Amino acid sequence: MSKLSDFTVSSPRPLPVILLADVSGSMAENGKIDTLNAAVSEMIATFVEEEATRAEIQVAIITFGGSAARVHTPLKPASEVKWENMAASGRTPMGSAFTTVQQIIEDRQLIPGRAYRPTIVLISDGIPTDDWKTPLELLLGSERASKAMRFAMGIGEEADLVTLKTFLADPASKVFHAHEAREIKKFFRWLSMSVTSRSRSANPNNAVVVEPTDLDDFDF
Amino acid sequence: MAQTTLSFGASIRGPLHLQQGITNQDAWLRAEGSFGSLIVVCDGLGSRPDALLGSRSACLAVREACVRWTRVTGAPVYYLVHLIEVLWRLRIYPCAPPDAATTCLLALALPTGEMVVGGIGDGLVAIRTGDLPVSTIIGDRADSFSNETCALGVSPGMKAWHLTKLPFSHQQRLAVLASDGVADDLNPEKLDDFCDWLIFSFEELHPVQRWHRLVAELRAWPTPRHLDDKTIAVLKVNAEVAGRKR
Repeated sequence: MSKLSDFTVSSPRPLPVILLADVSGSMAENGKIDTLNAAVSEMIATFVEEEATRAEIQVAIITFGGSAARVHTPLKPASEVKWENMAASGRTPMGSAFTTVQQIIEDRQLIPGRAYRPTIVLISDGIPTDDWKTPLELLLGSERASKAMRFAMGIGEEADLVTLKTFLADPASKVFHAHEAREIKKFFRWLSMSVTSRSRSANPNNAVVVEPTDLDDFDF
Repeated sequence: MAQTTLSFGASIRGPLHLQQGITNQDAWLRAEGSFGSLIVVCDGLGSRPDALLGSRSACLAVREACVRWTRVTGAPVYYLVHLIEVLWRLRIYPCAPPDAATTCLLALALPTGEMVVGGIGDGLVAIRTGDLPVSTIIGDRADSFSNETCALGVSPGMKAWHLTKLPFSHQQRLAVLASDGVADDLNPEKLDDFCDWLIFSFEELHPVQRWHRLVAELRAWPTPRHLDDKTIAVLKVNAEVAGRKR
């Protein structure tokens, strides 16, 4: 083996995907949390099966329910994630989730400069119950975190689409609205395709737009 | 005061461009003359249509700029930057600068024993003086991510440049330049060992053998799923006083 292996890193460039998942009590209704668990598990399995990648897809999951957000799954390669279902209860501390994801993205030991731009996905079925504006302003004002690609999905009729749109901070970006639990899976199919397309592209920093029409009756 | 210098380097096409049938978009140059000893490494931005023109032209523009700049004793370093910018644009004309965008890293050992080192864009510019630890003038991505870089043609003005003049030193000085295909995969904690390896493994080789060996090492790059073109250039300067190397 080349002597260079003594001086180089032994892992591919990371492509981090960080989910901010609402696990407030309302997510327990109408099978939403069960569907979300199944969809996230399926997405991780898709990432693991993806072999033709130029980057190492890494996954972290931050849940927000109860009084504060918590790291449900620390950032690690998808192949190393041991999936455990999320449980829904309590309030919707979305602001706490913004603070947590900012801390993760600004941690250069966790996400080094050689990583490709992270993707942050916000999923919620309700209205934030904590101060979310200040943490979101800090997140969007952060030099590193502001460079992340951001997607958002509102679930059900109670979803606060205005807040989700504010998180995207891009007039051209759309919030995906899942009116029914089954549409959650379609969003994650889209997300899986987007991330794996990025990981296969010449420059994974360029977002690869997968046409939603490629998915059966996908609606957003 | 006199000085002896050694410079060498190599560049290879990365797996992505091999697969796509695209030429190596990196370029490098070594030159010596009355202006001093120079190494340059440029990485044409892969997404740009004239990246190869940009990187090769930048190497030549730097050499021309160094020749002119060193003719005027005491000229400020930012004059050198302006010269490089203008000469590069002249060389690529009528190509639009953004279409030929390229990073540009250089190390110029002046006959005075000073060294001008730095550049614009990502990659690695590492310096070691004597037994001191290696310091990086370019190499820390700070708040950016992979493949995000300033470059000639897309980042106008002095702000995007990190070019500095190091004072005369009686001690041996080593400059290592590398494109991001190398720099991003280097373990920052092993940078001193990497520089040692470059000198101890290649210094004594015949130039042709040295080039072949370095190319072979770059082609056997060990980081999994690496993609980019890879270029390394090394400049070692020994100050000599009364005929003795220091």
